[in-house]
Amino acid sequence: MNMRMIREALEASVIEGEDQMELPVEHVYASDLMSDVLAFGKPHSVLLTGLATQQSVISAHMAEFRGVVFLRGKKSTDGARRFARDHRLVLLSTGFDTYEACVRIEAIRKGTPAGPEAGADPRPDAELSLSRDFCIMGGDYANAGSVSTEVKSILKKIGLDPRLIRRIAISTYEGEMNVVMHARRAKARLTVTPAMVQVTIEDQGPGIPDVELAMQEGFTTATEEMRAMGFGSGMGLPNIKKNADEMRIDSRVGEGTSLEMKFRI
Amino acid sequence: MDTRELIERLQLKQLNQFKHRSIDGVFISDMVSDTMARARPGNLWLTMQTYKSIIPAANLVDVAAVVVTSGKEVPAETVELAARYAVPLLWSELPTFELAVKLHALGIG
Amino acid sequence: MPECPHTWEMTNIRFGFVVFEKCHHCGRVRTFFTREDIALLGDKYREGTHFWSRVENAQSFRFDLRCRSCGMLEKFDDLMGLLYCTACRPECKVDILRRELEAQGTHVVLACGFLTENRRRPEQVAGHKIEMLASYFNQRRDVSRSRIAVLPFDLEDGLSHCMGEFLHDVGMISQEPPEIRKTPLWQ
Repeated sequence: MNMRMIREALEASVIEGEDQMELPVEHVYASDLMSDVLAFGKPHSVLLTGLATQQSVISAHMAEFRGVVFLRGKKSTDGARRFARDHRLVLLSTGFDTYEACVRIEAIRKGTPAGPEAGADPRPDAELSLSRDFCIMGGDYANAGSVSTEVKSILKKIGLDPRLIRRIAISTYEGEMNVVMHARRAKARLTVTPAMVQVTIEDQGPGIPDVELAMQEGFTTATEEMRAMGFGSGMGLPNIKKNADEMRIDSRVGEGTSLEMKFRI
Repeated sequence: MDTRELIERLQLKQLNQFKHRSIDGVFISDMVSDTMARARPGNLWLTMQTYKSIIPAANLVDVAAVVVTSGKEVPAETVELAARYAVPLLWSELPTFELAVKLHALGIG
Repeated sequence: MPECPHTWEMTNIRFGFVVFEKCHHCGRVRTFFTREDIALLGDKYREGTHFWSRVENAQSFRFDLRCRSCGMLEKFDDLMGLLYCTACRPECKVDILRRELEAQGTHVVLACGFLTENRRRPEQVAGHKIEMLASYFNQRRDVSRSRIAVLPFDLEDGLSHCMGEFLHDVGMISQEPPEIRKTPLWQ
């Protein structure tokens, strides 16, 4: 199954990615909960969602989806369209609702045997030792996700294993979102050595009063400030812990937080 | 088909006691606002949203049952509200898409 | 001439956000509906003596009710949202009423108007419209199983204590499940 067949099945219009319709699709993921897409989405899936926002497209990108379908005739935002274009994701729009979309896709899928994925990414020889610095500004929702996207891009050029890149991208994204949501500003550093990738994010901000508590799965803080941001006050730390080989947090209340994530190559 | 038969045929888990009712169509959404605006009475509502607000929303729409998909853990508060509002609450390991496919194969919706 | 026994349907559905803003100067909260695609959070701006900051964007929708038989239309743009009681205080008059009604198989939602910065409590939705809304819900269900009652949100004393929840969507793009609100609604 590929994006073209999905487009046909859903009588969808192509918002972005007209030149990528032959991309094979291995799974279908129907969800309006982006935290779920990030945590459980499989690579080379297509996302069916009624949440027509940029964050849906970013989440799909982080989870290495092929594309996103906005359902129920929901209009795409400019941000969503731009991100899809910049990161080569197919973006479709259809008037069908979720159930109808699932049924139609299955009908088309049944008609074809699942094919092998078209050609793996070539692995060019590249330097395996580099260091890059980035800046993340607190409150900058318009650019939220840009650093992790850049990190992903760099690692892809190096030719690292796609599954490793995905874990690094997701972890970096979680750390980046924490800065955008909770801190004033941060410096992020990507370091690649022959054995390891390290991403460190050092921010100036309120700090985390009780790191151990924050690490608990499902724990959410209830301070007025964090609630005020409206994105939900969880910090995605359990998700980072799940994806990184090593994780270290140092935090001083009133000063800031330093997050160090290591990934073995 | 009614909820009793559905539970048997698809091996769904029943999270509260309720009077079985017949199912008329399938509605999928993880958003409460979307559901209140578009779902129809008698729909089977598939969602992976487990926050307790799904129960009063389900009640207002008068869905036949809420099916929590993807093996999501349902908080005790949600189950309690479902019991209080007598909203049938079901559960499946299957992701939403796979469950939708099975429902269609059964001829629902 | 006999009046039409209206049968209501929702129409003219528009999706958008209910925005909650708080003034850091005086603590007032105000709310409004917007169809802007992306509502920026933490947005701060000054307006007269107020320093507003967006504290919540809730995905929601607005609608009209139309009678299928006679075509009569009633707009509900003044409805901010429907609230359900979370039984936070047993002595609260809403909780008392809720328990009474539930014992008779009737479930309660509260119709809440918007909060403007000039008032300390939300605007009321007109009584006849509240009745219409209740009719709409009850017409769609088998009322022998259970009924819906729609009440106005007119908690004078309870405004600072109410832990009721709106039927809307927050934190859909959050990386974590929605937190359980620990502070009363209007703070």
